[in-house]
Amino acid sequence: MRSNMLKQLNISHSYLRPHLTSTFQAGKAGSMFNFLFNKEQQVQALIFAYLEIFPEIQKNFLKALQACLLSGTMCQDFDFYIKQTHKFESRADDIRDEINDLMYGKALIPDARGDIMEIIASFDMIPQLFEEILYLLQTQRLEVPSFLIQDLKELVRLSLECCDLVVQQAKLFLKKSKGIRSVASIIDKNESHCDHIERRLLTRLFDSDTDPFQKLQVKELITELGKISDRADRLTKMVSIVQMKRRV
Amino acid sequence: MFSLLGGVFLGWSLGANDASNVFGTAVSSKMLRFWTAACLASCFVVLGAVISGQAGIETLKGLTNFDIEQAVISSVAAALTVTLMTIFGLPVSTSQAVIGSILGIGFLNHQLNLQGLGKVVACWVGTPIGAAVVSIGLYYGLAALYNKLRLNLFQTDSLLRLSLIAAGSYGAYALGANNVANVTAVFVGAGMLSVFIAALVGGASISLGILTFSRPVMETVGKKLVQLDPFSALVVVLAMAITMHTYTLVGVPVSSSQAVIGGVLGIGIIKGVRTVNRRTLINILVAWMLTPVLSCLMALAIFFVIHLKYIPS
Repeated sequence: MRSNMLKQLNISHSYLRPHLTSTFQAGKAGSMFNFLFNKEQQVQALIFAYLEIFPEIQKNFLKALQACLLSGTMCQDFDFYIKQTHKFESRADDIRDEINDLMYGKALIPDARGDIMEIIASFDMIPQLFEEILYLLQTQRLEVPSFLIQDLKELVRLSLECCDLVVQQAKLFLKKSKGIRSVASIIDKNESHCDHIERRLLTRLFDSDTDPFQKLQVKELITELGKISDRADRLTKMVSIVQMKRRV
Repeated sequence: MFSLLGGVFLGWSLGANDASNVFGTAVSSKMLRFWTAACLASCFVVLGAVISGQAGIETLKGLTNFDIEQAVISSVAAALTVTLMTIFGLPVSTSQAVIGSILGIGFLNHQLNLQGLGKVVACWVGTPIGAAVVSIGLYYGLAALYNKLRLNLFQTDSLLRLSLIAAGSYGAYALGANNVANVTAVFVGAGMLSVFIAALVGGASISLGILTFSRPVMETVGKKLVQLDPFSALVVVLAMAITMHTYTLVGVPVSSSQAVIGGVLGIGIIKGVRTVNRRTLINILVAWMLTPVLSCLMALAIFFVIHLKYIPS
């Protein structure tokens, strides 16, 4: 039934593809001096584990939104996916705490330590935003006017694509593959596209005859959804700067 | 053996002060545990002193001929000068203190090897300049190599840590090889010790200083260099080690602190920023001129005090 819903909504789900890089594989990459850097290997494995969980949070967030937009906030699917989103977000939090514990245990040199902690903290702000949006919909029993749904879906699609790309960029950064800048430029484009859609949505909302109270509720939802791509864009810029800093 | 205590005291204070130039960056930034750094530094200091310390001992020994009493006076005067300058917070050079006290005793003996002295003073001037030049060359060379490697964050981290340990160990070796002469050369000149035993005793006393009293100095003095990024810090330590090793081959003891400052200045020139503030530079200059003079006067004063005689009226 859920897959039918996804088909009906016809949203592109590039971010739903399986992420094949396992934590184990990432941890294996190293040098002959690996035995000297146990903590660093643990940090590396945990970061990859975090990046594996991130798409799961996105996936459940999207499914919750789709359920909400299709059947309203009263449906069972919506509540189920909120719980799933929270479950994965909480798992990601646990991994983040483990990473921080290792960092405070003096893993990595201070320079890299600060950069990693800052990147993970910025990553963590996105799932937090997902949860805030879902709770907003849940607690306010928010109904989105039908004339906004198409644009809203486009905003969600682009925003989640930004998140997907930022995960890819972080993996590229950790593996030192090429293409970090090109990913950043796609995110930048998506982010400005999201801004346009956000403005269009708000204009259409306030031009409509919708109840003023509902207008304010929906406006809050649109603004919060718009923040996803902003945070992804900020994160991608941070990753790019950290990468540039590593060159001498 | 009791007469050696002055030299051991000097070696101890040298180890306590100068270990920070070698491993201060790594320890104060928690890249390396203090005890790992201290053990590595101690081992390599002794190795450096025993394997490559002879040339410096020969140079200092050749500056003047001392008897045992004069050797003791000279090392005690140098040790007191180092202690005094440290109390006043001036970046002191043990090498300059030792040369100053040797000069003082040399005046009394009317025996000064001015040719050898000229070589030593020229090397003092050359130390910071040489370290700056080495650090500039190293920075460009290593940066080209480092950028070519295209390592990820974790590989970079591992490489920098290992390199800092290797550079620090080499720095400790160079410190031991270069500075052991300051500690025990006068006793060789006085015929009290053979060159090998002098190198061993000198190295061991520097090690003792590192193991017993270098922790606070490493954790505070090292922080002055932490403002540099890890790559630049590595270059500075390596530049210091290479500079000191070069002077070891020439046979002249020089200051590791001045070599480090030179290295930091070199990085500042490359990056176009002021890595050492004006006050530090003034302190270095003051210490540079004051240390040998104070040490010379201290040696003369101790000599006169010891030879005071009570003449009843």
